[in-house]
Amino acid sequence: MNYRDHKTRQLDSVLSEELRKSCDPYEAYRDLPEDELFQPAQFDSSAAERRGYSNYSYWGATLQAFFKNRIAVFFLAVIVVTLVFTYIQPLLPDQKDPKTIYNDASGIQIINRSPDSEFWFGTNSIGQDLWARTWAGTRTSLGIGFAVACFEALVGTLVGVLWGYVRKLDAFFTELYNIFDNVPQTLVLILISYIMNPGVGTIIFALCLTGWLDMARFIRNQIVIIRDRDYNLASRCLGTSTARIVTKNLLPYLVSVITLRMALAIPSAIGNEVFVTYIGIGLPTDIPSLGNLVQAGRLVMSQPSLRYQLLFPTAVLAVITISLYIVGNSFADAADPRNHV
Amino acid sequence: MAKYIVKRVLHSMITLCIVIFIVLALLRQMPIEGYFSNFDKVSKAQIAVTLKKLGLQDPLFVQVGHYMLQLLHGNFGRSIKYREGYSIAKIIAQKAPISIEIGLISVGLALLVGLPLGIAMANSVKTKWKFWDRFGTVLIVIVEAVPSAVYHLLIQLYGSELFGVSMLFSRDDITTWLLPIFSLSLGNIVYYAMWLRRFMVDESNKDYIRLARAKGVPSKQISRSHVFRNAIVPLVQYIPNSILFTLMGSLYVESLYSIPGMGGLLVQAIKIQDNTLVEALVVLYSIISVAGLLLGDLLMAVFDPRISFTGKEGSRR
Amino acid sequence: MAEKREVLVSIKDLCFDFTLRGQTLHALRGISLDILKGESLAIVGESGSGKSVFVANLMGLNASNGRITGGSILYGDKDLAKITDETEWNSIRGSRIAMVMQDPMTSLNPLKTIGWQICEALALHQDLHGEAAKQEACRILTEVGISEPERRYKQFPHEFSGGMRQRVVIAIAVACKPEILICDEPTTALDVTIQAQILGILKKMQKTYGLTVVYITHDLGVVANVADRVAVMYAGDIVEVGTSNEIFYDPKHPYTWALLSSLPQLGIKGKPLYSIQGTPPDLFQEIHGDAFAARNPHPLKIDFVKRPPMFKVSDTHFARTWLLDPRAPRMEPPEHIRVMIDKGRALGLTGTGAETAEKGAAQ
Repeated sequence: MNYRDHKTRQLDSVLSEELRKSCDPYEAYRDLPEDELFQPAQFDSSAAERRGYSNYSYWGATLQAFFKNRIAVFFLAVIVVTLVFTYIQPLLPDQKDPKTIYNDASGIQIINRSPDSEFWFGTNSIGQDLWARTWAGTRTSLGIGFAVACFEALVGTLVGVLWGYVRKLDAFFTELYNIFDNVPQTLVLILISYIMNPGVGTIIFALCLTGWLDMARFIRNQIVIIRDRDYNLASRCLGTSTARIVTKNLLPYLVSVITLRMALAIPSAIGNEVFVTYIGIGLPTDIPSLGNLVQAGRLVMSQPSLRYQLLFPTAVLAVITISLYIVGNSFADAADPRNHV
Repeated sequence: MAKYIVKRVLHSMITLCIVIFIVLALLRQMPIEGYFSNFDKVSKAQIAVTLKKLGLQDPLFVQVGHYMLQLLHGNFGRSIKYREGYSIAKIIAQKAPISIEIGLISVGLALLVGLPLGIAMANSVKTKWKFWDRFGTVLIVIVEAVPSAVYHLLIQLYGSELFGVSMLFSRDDITTWLLPIFSLSLGNIVYYAMWLRRFMVDESNKDYIRLARAKGVPSKQISRSHVFRNAIVPLVQYIPNSILFTLMGSLYVESLYSIPGMGGLLVQAIKIQDNTLVEALVVLYSIISVAGLLLGDLLMAVFDPRISFTGKEGSRR
Repeated sequence: MAEKREVLVSIKDLCFDFTLRGQTLHALRGISLDILKGESLAIVGESGSGKSVFVANLMGLNASNGRITGGSILYGDKDLAKITDETEWNSIRGSRIAMVMQDPMTSLNPLKTIGWQICEALALHQDLHGEAAKQEACRILTEVGISEPERRYKQFPHEFSGGMRQRVVIAIAVACKPEILICDEPTTALDVTIQAQILGILKKMQKTYGLTVVYITHDLGVVANVADRVAVMYAGDIVEVGTSNEIFYDPKHPYTWALLSSLPQLGIKGKPLYSIQGTPPDLFQEIHGDAFAARNPHPLKIDFVKRPPMFKVSDTHFARTWLLDPRAPRMEPPEHIRVMIDKGRALGLTGTGAETAEKGAAQ
C-alpha cells in the first residue's frame, strides 16, 4: 500500500467515525445526568431503518472469499505470469524460431542437444529449439482451449437458457440430450478427427461439438430451478420482460458455473489434443503444439539422456492445467452464495 | 417398479437405434480408402464393384437397416486390413478377455481405494487438520487437471524404472500387470472419491441429519447409516458405466503398454484405416455406453425408493 | 398457574457468538431463563431474534462456527454449556431432550422406512430390537394418530403428506421417552387446518408422557393455544417473561406491546394495522442500552445508553425495560394494548394491574 492509499484510508475512517457519532444516540446521551436520562427521547425513523444487515454485496463477498484463499491467489498469479510470458516470448530478444532447424558450424544439424546456455530446453531429434517450440506449442494449445471454451460458454448458455426458459423446447432438447449423452465424447473426437483432415480447425470443431451440450444441460437445470422462484414470479407479475428477467435475474446467478466450465474447458481441450495426437489423428507434426511435443518426447523417452524432451513440455502443460483447474474451482466456490458466511 | 423397468429398457432401445444411425451416418463419410486392403493397386471399376458389394452405395437408411440386421445376428462384418477377411466378431472375442480381466481388477482396486478415500475425506471435513480431505484434494487436482494422456505416460516411464519392470505388457509376467492396472484405476479412484465426498458433504448438511443428531445417534453411526447410505445413491448411477468402460479397455493405456485388448485394437484400426473394424468397435462402444446408463438408472431405482414410486426417470448430474 | 413448579433447566447469562465473514455476531446476549418441570413454555420473537440458536444450545446442535462465550445451562447435575464431548451429548440428545423440527418434508431420511427411523431411536435409548421395537413403534404411531400402523411402518417418507410426516417426527421424538421436548416452529411449514391437529397431538403427548415442552414460534396464535408461560425474545435477549395471561393481558415491554399490536386479531376496525417500524439491530455491532430503543416510537434517553435490568412485576412476570424504573415517566401503552389490559382485568385474569405493579429490580 502506498502513502496516498494510506492517507485516504485514514481520512475515510475518521470521517465514518464522525458520521457514526452523529447518528448513534449512545454518543449523544451517554454523558447526560441521571434525571435527564429518563426523559423521553426523539424517535428517529431513519435510525430504526439504518441498523439492518446491509454490509453484504455479492461481488464484494465473492472477491473477498476468493482472495482469502491464498493457494488460489498463488495459482492465479502463476496463470497470469505464464499467459503473459507465453504471448510476449517471441518478442523477447535472443529468441529462436520454433520451426527453424539449426546447424552447427560444420553444417550438421544440432540434434538432441541437451539444455545449455544457447538452447535453454535443448533441441529435438531434428535440431529445432525446444524452448521456442514449447512456448509456440503452448500458444497453439491455449488458443484451441480458449476457442473451445468461448464457444462452449456462448452456445451452451444460449441453448441452456432457451431450453430452460422456453417450455415448448424442453421436451425436444431433453430427448436430444438423452441421445447424445449416450455417445462418449472420446468417440466423437476420434470419429471427427478420423473423418476430417487433421488441423487446428478440425480439433476445435470436434471439441466444440461435444462440450456445449453438457454446459447447456447444466444451465438448463439451474434455470429451471431459479425460473420459478418467488422473486422471479413477482418480477414477471410486475410486467418485467422475459429478456430482462433472463439477463438481470438469471444470468448473474450462473456466472460462477459459466466461469468454472470455461476454466475447465481449457485443460480438457489440451488433454484431448494430446490424446488425438497420440492416436495419430491430431495436428500435423509441423505445427508445434503441446500434443505434438509430448508425442515427440514419448518416442525418445526410453533414453534417460533425452528425457528432457518429454519433461519440459509436460511440466509447462501440467503447470497450466493445474493452475486453471484450481483457480476455476476456487472461483466457483467463492462465487457460490452458500459459501458467503 | 416393473413398469418403470420396461419403460426404461424400451427407451434405451430406441435411443440405441438412433445412436447407431448417427454413428453409421458419420462413419460412412470416412475416406473410402479404408474399405480396401490395397487401394493404390485397384482400378476404378473394381472400386465401384467392391463398394456396391459392400452396400455402400445404397441409400443411408438401407445401409443402416442392413447393419442392424447383421448386428442382431451378432455379426460385425469382416475386417479389411487388420486381418483381411477375418470375422470381426471373432477378433473381438479374442481380444476381449484380456481387457475384461485387467478391467475387473482395476475397477475392484478403484472401488476398494476410492470409496474409503471419499468417506475419509468427507469425515475429515469437520476435523481440525482435515488431513484426508487435503490429501485427497491434492490427488484429485493432479489426476483431474493433468491430462490422462500425460500422467499415464509418466507412470509408465517412472513406474517401470522405479520397480524395474518392463514397459510393455506380457501376459505371463505378472509384474507387468501392475502399472497398467494402477494407471487404469487411478482415474476411477479419484472419480469415486471426489463424488462420494461431495455427495456426503451435501447430505450431511441436510435437515434429517440434524434430526438424527437430535435423536442422539452417535456420529459414526450417522456417517454410516445415513450419510454414506444416501450419498452412494447418486454415485451408484455412474458406477456401471465406469465399470463397463474400464472393462472395454482404455484406448490409451492398452496401446501404451501394448496390451492385446480391445482398446488398443481401436487405436490400431484407426492408424491402419480399417473402416469396417473402426465401425464395429465404435458401434460396440456405443452399445456399451447405452447399456451402462441403463444399468445405472435401474440400479438407482433399486437403491432409491422414490424413483419407482413416482415413475420418473432418475435425474442425471 | 399459582402452584410452584420444580426448576428443570436453569439458564444463566448465556452468551453465544457466531463468527461470520471474519466478524463476530452476538447471537445471544446474556440470556437467563428457567424451564419448569411439566410446563409448556413458548419462546416468541421475530426471525433472527435468536430463538432457534437458543434451543439448539440445549442439545449442542449449533453450527461449528458458533461457540458459547459465557454463562451456564444447569440441567440436573450437568452444565450443558460445558459439554464438548460428542458421546456426552449423545446421552442427553433424544433420551432426555428431544426435538421436533420445523419442516417435516426434509427432516426425515428419504431412503429409510419410517419404521426404521423410529426403531433407530428405540434401539439407542430403550434397547428395544426386532419384533419388540416394531410393536412399540406401531403403538406410538397409533398414538400420534396414524392409522394402519403395521402398513405405514414399512412405508417411506415420500408416501406421507406433510402433516403425517410431522406426526412421524413427533413419534420419533417421544419414542425416546425424553423429559423435555423442544418444538422448533412445529407448525410453520404446515397449512392451517393441519396446524391445529399437530398442536393437539403435541398437547396429548405432553399429558401422556408428562413432558416439558418448549415451543419456538413467531405465531402468537400458537402461543395462545398451547403455552403456560411465554418468553419474548428480541435481538438475542429475553425482554419479557411471564405466564401467558400476563404477557397477553398485562405486557410491560414496549417490544411486547408492538408485537401484540401487530396481531390482526387485535386490530381496531377502521384503523390501519400496526406494524413495527424499522429493522432488527445489527448483531455484529455492540448494542448499548435497550436493543429495541431505535424502533421504539417513544424511547427514553437512557434506553440508548444503559442496558435495563430485569424488573420484577410479579413472582412469575419479569420485563427488561426502563419504563418499570421508579424514576421513569409514566408511559401509557398503545391503544390496542390498553383494550387488552382492560379486558384482562374485567375477566380477572391478571391479579395486578399496571399501577400496582411492584417496582424494583429483581436480581
